[in-house]
Amino acid sequence: MLKQERKRFALSLSAGILAILVGAYFSLTNGTYPMTAADLWDTLFRGHSNPELGLILFEFRLPRLIVGALVGLGLAIAGTVIQAISKNGLADPGILGINSGAGLGVVIFMYAFMGNRTLDGYFSAISMPLFGLTGGIVAALLIFGLAWERGRLDSQRLLLFGIAVGTGLGSGSIYLSLRMKSGDFDMAAVWVAGSIWNANWYFMIAMVPWFLLLLPIILFKAKLLDVFQLTEESIKSLGVRTEKQKLVLLFASVSLVAICVAAAGAIGFVGLIAPHIAKQLVGQKHMYVLPISGMIGMLLVILADLLARVVVAPAEIPAGIVVSIIGVPYFIYLLFRARA
Amino acid sequence: MHISQTSLAKVILIFFPLGFLALAVLSISIGAKEIPFGDIYQSIFHFDANQPDHQIIIHNRLPRALGACLIGAFLAVSGALMQGMTRNYLASPSIMGVSDGSVFLVTACMVLLPNAGAFVLVLFSLAGSAFGVFLVFGLGSILPNGLTPVRLAIIGTIIGTFLSSLAAALSIYFKTNQDISFWYNARLHQLDPAMIKLAVPFGTAGLVLALILAKPITLLSLGDETAAGLGENTTRIKLLTIVAVALLTGISVALAGKITFVGLLIPHMTRYLVGNDYRWVIPCTAALGGLFLILSDTASRFLNSPFETPISIVTSFIGIPFFIYLIKRNGGKANA
Repeated sequence: MLKQERKRFALSLSAGILAILVGAYFSLTNGTYPMTAADLWDTLFRGHSNPELGLILFEFRLPRLIVGALVGLGLAIAGTVIQAISKNGLADPGILGINSGAGLGVVIFMYAFMGNRTLDGYFSAISMPLFGLTGGIVAALLIFGLAWERGRLDSQRLLLFGIAVGTGLGSGSIYLSLRMKSGDFDMAAVWVAGSIWNANWYFMIAMVPWFLLLLPIILFKAKLLDVFQLTEESIKSLGVRTEKQKLVLLFASVSLVAICVAAAGAIGFVGLIAPHIAKQLVGQKHMYVLPISGMIGMLLVILADLLARVVVAPAEIPAGIVVSIIGVPYFIYLLFRARA
Repeated sequence: MHISQTSLAKVILIFFPLGFLALAVLSISIGAKEIPFGDIYQSIFHFDANQPDHQIIIHNRLPRALGACLIGAFLAVSGALMQGMTRNYLASPSIMGVSDGSVFLVTACMVLLPNAGAFVLVLFSLAGSAFGVFLVFGLGSILPNGLTPVRLAIIGTIIGTFLSSLAAALSIYFKTNQDISFWYNARLHQLDPAMIKLAVPFGTAGLVLALILAKPITLLSLGDETAAGLGENTTRIKLLTIVAVALLTGISVALAGKITFVGLLIPHMTRYLVGNDYRWVIPCTAALGGLFLILSDTASRFLNSPFETPISIVTSFIGIPFFIYLIKRNGGKANA
């Protein structure tokens, strides 16, 4: 039994990595300026091809690919944790209103500092995630504080408060962004729709340390997530300090979400779908589910971004919109399956 | 002295014209240009086309106050219908994907029929709202526990996101996003009097239907079994209710875009005041909804003056604390 699970895990992982590599290849070579495989190879590893290709690859496509992959990874892992803790397969960072909180943080940042600065540069790349983080954590505290009843989290209330608080913070963002200058407003609007077209190396540099800090925390506690699926009484009898561990895990995943939102705006549904697909592939053990889910998240965002660019070229649809067009039918399928 | 709920309802209905008059005068005189009360009377009964104040009143402020009152009434009534029908205290047009359905079909219409006039667009907006309502309630009724507060709220949010994403993709692809946002941003402050005239028949039909449905809805709000036991055809009532909701919300969205929380807040307030008999709830909720939206619209001119703030932001700021209070009190319970 154990061996079989491990085998499925290894199989899924390698298939996933292969799919990501294929996706990355298409994502790097397709676009308004197509490349051949030979071009790609030369530019990436030999560095002696023409400077135009180098510019396109290193300044535009590669950072975009990597930021997209990181965002997918972060959202999917956070979604898995949030679903496990709230014991609700419908929970998702977007539905829980954490996105809107992080969004409001970033809009406040744009409102306060963006007068004459542009999005690149270390200052904004480093401080935008911080504002997003603060906003996301404040939203999470608010929602969890409201849903906290007699020493435990009520998962139904959690979802409802998430929707309520999310709507409120969303209108806060709209209010602020309407007070901006029109240039800043356009930027905020594109960003809110969930797009990674303006990704650059600064974003990646700002994201990676957080991932290096937060992902290990979550992965080390993967076994605890299995424990949370038991009833309240059995957890207590195992001697786990549930509420404290829950808070640590929630804090880590909310931070992940906030950083992703700061980089790419509100890309919904990744955190909802990826865990479900992962569980179908490798079963219920979070030690296996977490990495697979992260991988599927990466794949989803890379593919969505590719579609967003290629299908309607030369126009672009924000990747977030593509994800929700693909994601919703799957979600409804999930709701129907839950009945059976 | 204890006042019975029925007499409170009568008081609300009797004082509604007075309240409307007072708030309308307030709303007309306040704004980027202050207008003295005397001019309002003058401009309505002795209109003088050469006076700029008269022009402002007749072509901008008056339609705006009237429109706000109508839309508030429509939205509040459709919220009351939805809450009564589903016995779900969170049901309301703004969280049910209704307005997103309208955005979707209006976008499709602009893409397919680029030369369509305002009337065709209104029809598409109505059809879109109906589509949104049917989709959300349809899924809600097929799925197990689909009509409970949590499920219905999630289904509504999801369907709404889906439809608005499709609309966004369409409009980006066909490059119509500016027209769309223009259509939906022709908000209250530039409400076209012709549009109000267009809306009146649809809105009246919806309101009349709502009043006819008032008694069966009261029975439905006691539970499907009770209603069926008392000889009501529950399926037919539900279908008619959905038609009324689609008419009322559809026309509101067409007039002023998405206005949130009126349909959630006002019916609760009304039931608190006048009890659970929908024969009183529906007219009273219409009256209170109308007054509430005139007031919110007046407030929206101050938030960021001299610029206008979308009225939804005002209604959200009032509605969300109330939304949170409702959830805190009722949680995930089916009926409250």
